[in-house]
Amino acid sequence: MSERTLMGGNIAIAEGAILAGCGAYFGYPITPQNDLLEHMSVRLPAMGRVFLQTESELAAINMVYGAAATGVRCMTSTSSPGFSLQQEGISYMAGAEVPCVVANIMRAGPGLGNIGGAQGDYMQCTRGGGHGDYYLITLAPASVQEMMDLTMLAFELADKYRNPTLVMADGFLGQSVESIVMREPVKSLPPKDWAIDGARGRDRRLINSFEMNPIDHPKRIRLLLEKYERMRLEEVRYEGMLLDDAEIVIVAYGSAARAAMTAMNRARKNNFKVGLLRPITVFPFPSQVLSDLAEKGSKFIVAEMSSGQMLEDVRISVGNQNEIKLVNTYGGVPLTPDMIFEAIDLMS
Amino acid sequence: MNWEITISGFGGQGVLFIGRLLMEAGFASGQQVSWLPYYSGEKRGGMCSCFVNISEERIGSIFISHPDIAVAMNPAAYAMLEPDVKPDGLLIVNESLVKEKSQRPDLKAVYVPTVELAKEVGDESVANIIALGAVLARAPVVTTSSVIRVLNQMMSKNKPQLELNKAALLKGCELS
Repeated sequence: MSERTLMGGNIAIAEGAILAGCGAYFGYPITPQNDLLEHMSVRLPAMGRVFLQTESELAAINMVYGAAATGVRCMTSTSSPGFSLQQEGISYMAGAEVPCVVANIMRAGPGLGNIGGAQGDYMQCTRGGGHGDYYLITLAPASVQEMMDLTMLAFELADKYRNPTLVMADGFLGQSVESIVMREPVKSLPPKDWAIDGARGRDRRLINSFEMNPIDHPKRIRLLLEKYERMRLEEVRYEGMLLDDAEIVIVAYGSAARAAMTAMNRARKNNFKVGLLRPITVFPFPSQVLSDLAEKGSKFIVAEMSSGQMLEDVRISVGNQNEIKLVNTYGGVPLTPDMIFEAIDLMS
Repeated sequence: MNWEITISGFGGQGVLFIGRLLMEAGFASGQQVSWLPYYSGEKRGGMCSCFVNISEERIGSIFISHPDIAVAMNPAAYAMLEPDVKPDGLLIVNESLVKEKSQRPDLKAVYVPTVELAKEVGDESVANIIALGAVLARAPVVTTSSVIRVLNQMMSKNKPQLELNKAALLKGCELS
C-alpha cells in the first residue's frame, strides 16, 4: 500500500490513530481540530470501535483515563484552550502510568485567543503541563505525512512507557492538505499485564495516582523520573538539513520549520551557509546535537510562532557563548520565509 | 518548477474550492502539492485566502508571501496581493468587484469580469471557476484537461453542476 493520496493534517492524525489500533476516541469540538473529531465520528463506529462526543474537554480526558485503564488504545484531540482543561486528567494519567495519545492542534492564546495556528503551548506540552513532577514525550509533526506517522509512533511510545504521549501540531498544519503515503495497520498490540480487564482467575489490579504514605510516594516518583530519563536517552528525534558546513543553524519545528526550509534554500542560493535543525521530539529535546553544533561555533536562529518558548530550550542546550536570534510571530499569525531570511541576512 | 499560488476573496466566493482544484490537478499530474486555507472566525462575507504549492521538489513553506500567481476576487484581496506578487508574476483580478488597475510594470495583470461571464454560462456562482480558467489560460501550472478530470470525479453525481463548472472553466480559458 504505497499509493499516494491527498489528506488533511487533522484527518491524517485520525487515520494514523485508526491504523495504530485506537479503540476509543473521546473528544469535544474546538477549532482548528474539528475535522479530526468529525472524521473519527464517522470512521470509528463503522469499524465497531468507540467514538463519543463528550460534554466537555474535561469529560473527554477523564473518559480516556477510564477507557485506557482497561488496556484499550485511546485518544483525545483538542486545541489549546481545551488542552488547558485537560491538564488535570493528563497529570492523573501520568501519575497512574496509564498510556494514551493526546493531539493538541495549537491555536493562539492566552485565554480564548483566536483560531489562527500558533505554537504558544510549547512550555505547557514539554514541561508536563499539569501539576506534579512528570513529562510527556511530545512529537512535533511538520507535514501531513508526519501527522500520520508520528500519531502511530505516539501510540507505540505511550504503551512502551505507560505514559500519555502528545502530538503537538499547529492549526495551520492541521488544516493543510498534502499528499501522503498510506501506512499499513498495526497488526498486533502489546500485552498489558497491568490493565483492569476483569480479575477473574487472577489477583486484583489497582490503577491510581494516589499514595498516602510519604515514604512510599518518593519511591514511586523516582520510578517515574527514571522513565523520563530513559526517554531522554532513547527517544530524541530530529531532522538535520545541510548542517555539515552550516555557519547559521535555524532551529524550528512544525509549520515554522517549513517556512525555515524555504528560507534556508533561498539563503543557500545567496551563498549563505545555513542549515536547519528540526526537532521532531520537543520533549525530549535534541539538546546534544545543538550543543555539538554550538561547539563548532555555529550561530543560531530560533524561528517559532510564540513569544520565544523553544528559545529557552535552545539557550539551555547551546549555552551563552553563541549568538542566538529569535524570529517569531504570535497571535495566530503565520511565520514567513521572508522574516527568517531577513534574520539570516542580518546575521551573516 | 515550483508554483506558489495565492487566492483571496470573500468567504463564499469559492476561493478555497479553486485552490483545491489546482492542488488536486497538480497531485494527479504527479507533483508535490500543499493547500492551506486561511480565514478568521467568520466565514461567508469575511476575508478568506488559500495558499497552494505545486512543485517538483519537497515543499517548504505552506504559507506563501510572494506568489507566482495571485487571484484577487475582491477589493481587499487586490490591495493585499497586488504589491506581493513576484516580479513577472501573474495577477488575475476580478473586474466585477475590483475597479483599480495595477501600476506595476513588472506584473502580468489580467482583469476578468468573472460575474458577468459566469452569468453568460448560466449562473454567477461559478465566477470563481471563470477566474481559474483565466489562470490556466496564462500559466502552465496544470493543464485544463487535468482540472476537468478532477471536476468529473468531484461532481459525478451532479451532472448539471458539472456541466456548468466545465462551461465556466472553458469560458475562463478562452479569454485572451
